[in-house]
Amino acid sequence: MRTPRPRPNKLHDELDALLDGRPVELTDELAPLAEAADALRAELATLQLDPEVANRHLERVLQNSGTVVQMPVRRQPNGWDVRRRAVAVALAAALVLVPATMASAAALPGQAMYPFKRAIEQVRIASVQWSPSREAGERTRVANTRLDEVRTLTRLKMFNQLPGAIAALERAVVAARVAVADAASQGEPVPAVAATLDRLKVEGGQAVMRVMVEVKAAGGPVLISQETYRAIQAAAAASQDVLPPPDPTAAQPTPGEATPTPTAKEPSPPADPTASETPSQPSQSSQPSESPQTTEPPPPQTTEPPPPQTTETTAPGPTTTEPAVTSGSLDTDVGQPAPEGRELFEQTAPPTTPPSP
Amino acid sequence: MLGFGGEREAVSKVGLTAADLAAARRREPAAVTRVYTAYAPALFRFFMAAVSDRHLAEDLTGTAFVSAIESLPRFRGPVEALGGWLFQIARHDLYDHRRKQSRSRIEPLEENLNEATLADGGVDPEEVAIERVEGSRVMEALRELSPDQREVLLLRMAGGLTAPEVAEILGKTTGAVKALQHRGLASLARVLGLRSPQETQGPPYPSSDSGRLTSQEEEEP
Repeated sequence: MRTPRPRPNKLHDELDALLDGRPVELTDELAPLAEAADALRAELATLQLDPEVANRHLERVLQNSGTVVQMPVRRQPNGWDVRRRAVAVALAAALVLVPATMASAAALPGQAMYPFKRAIEQVRIASVQWSPSREAGERTRVANTRLDEVRTLTRLKMFNQLPGAIAALERAVVAARVAVADAASQGEPVPAVAATLDRLKVEGGQAVMRVMVEVKAAGGPVLISQETYRAIQAAAAASQDVLPPPDPTAAQPTPGEATPTPTAKEPSPPADPTASETPSQPSQSSQPSESPQTTEPPPPQTTEPPPPQTTETTAPGPTTTEPAVTSGSLDTDVGQPAPEGRELFEQTAPPTTPPSP
Repeated sequence: MLGFGGEREAVSKVGLTAADLAAARRREPAAVTRVYTAYAPALFRFFMAAVSDRHLAEDLTGTAFVSAIESLPRFRGPVEALGGWLFQIARHDLYDHRRKQSRSRIEPLEENLNEATLADGGVDPEEVAIERVEGSRVMEALRELSPDQREVLLLRMAGGLTAPEVAEILGKTTGAVKALQHRGLASLARVLGLRSPQETQGPPYPSSDSGRLTSQEEEEP
C-alpha cells in the first residue's frame, strides 16, 4: 500500500534536517533530493583555494594592518563628556535666548518679537509646573504683564491691538485664578499671590475702563474704524466678569482722570493681601461728594478736587459724551443702541448722580 | 549519511572563540589567520560557484576577506554570527562585481580559454578545459535554477550556513528558504537526470513561518 505523500512543509523540514546532517528517514521523496545535494556538495568540494593564493590574501590583510588605521569605534561618553556637552548646549542656548528674551521683554502685541515673548512665558510656566504655588506666582506675573500691555497700548493709542490685549488679559487672570485655587487645594496656599491677583483684577477693570475713555477721547468710531471700536467694546464687555469695572459708588473717575496718565510700571505687589486692595480704590476716588457711599473714608490726599484744567484737556471729542463715559456707561454714546450683552458696567451711576463736569 | 554544513563544523574545530574575534579586530596575525582558515575556503567555493572563474573567485575572496577584516571592529555580534556576516559582505561584493560586469561585457569563451591556459601550470590546457566542462555538469545544472534557488543552495552548501542564517542574509523567512532549497534541489535532480521527486506545482501552501507569506508566494518574483 502506498503511503500518503508528506505535506510540503514537513518535506521541507526533513530536507533541511538532511542538509544539516541531522538523522532523517530517507523517503522516496527525499532520496533524489539527497542525491542532488550530494552531487552538488561533491562538486563544491573540488573547488579548493590555492595555498599560494591564500598566503597572498593573508599577506595582503596583514600588510594592510600596518598601514590601515583602526576603524574608529564610538567611545561611550563618560560623565565628564556628558557634563561638558550639557554646559555647551546650555551656553549656546543662553547666547541665543538671553538677548532674545531681553529684546522681547518690551514687545507689544502686533510687534515682531511678541510671539517670542509669549513663548518664553510658556516656557517659564512649564518650568515651574512641578510646584503649584510657583505656577500660581508665574501665572500671576504673566497676568500682570498682560495688564501692562493693555496700559501701554492705551497710552500709545494702538487701538487695533486692544481687543486682543484685553482678551489676553482676561484669559491670563482666569488662568492665574485657577492656578491659585489649585495651589490652595493642594495644600500650598499662596496668600500673597492671591492678594496680588485680586489687585490685578481691580486694576484690570480700571485699565479696561481707561481704554474706553481713551477710545472716546480719540473720537470713538468717528476717528477709529468702526470695526476696531466694536471689537474693543465687545472685548471690554466680555471681560466684565473677570475684570470687574470700578465701583462708581466707591470711586468715580472724573474726566480729569480720564486723561492718559503715565503708565509707570506698578511696583511689585505687596505680600500682604489686605494691603493690596486699598491703594487702588482710593486712587480713583477723586470726588469727595461720593465718599459717604463708600465703606471707608478716602485718604486725605485723594480728597482734593481734580484740577479743572485737566478736565478741559481731556475732552477733545464731543464733550456731550464725556459724562456718559465717566458715569460708567460706555455703550451709550455715538447715538447707536448698544448691542445686546455689550452693556458695560451694569452698576452705572444712578441717574441722580450728576455728571462730573 | 550526508554530512553537510562542513564549514560550520570546521569553524568549530578550529575553535574560533570570542577571544579570537577580539584579537582579529586588533589585526593580530594569528587570529586573522585563524579566521581566514575558517572561512576563506567557503568564501572561495561560494564565489567560484557563482562566477565560474577561478581567478575572479580568488580575487573576490581576497577582497571580501580584506574588507571583512577592515570592518571587523564594527561587527558587534557574537562569534557564532561571524559566518553570516562574512557572507553578507561576500554577497555584496558579488553583486558589485556583477554590476560592473554588466557595464563591460566580457566574452565568456575567451575567459574560459585564458583560465584553462593559466590553470595548473604544466598540465595541458585543453585537457584542463575538457575536465572542467565535464566537472561543471553540476554547475551548469546549478545555473539553470532561478537566482533565488541558486543563491540559497550556494549559501547553504558552499557557505555552510543554516537555513535561518541564510534567511537573515536574504531577508526572507526560514520557511521560504527551506522551500527554495527544496525546489532548487528538485530542479537540480531533474536536470542531472536523477529520479524526479515529482515536485508538486500546486497552489500555494502555508509556510512554516506563521504570519508570513507562503513559501511559494515569496519565491515568485
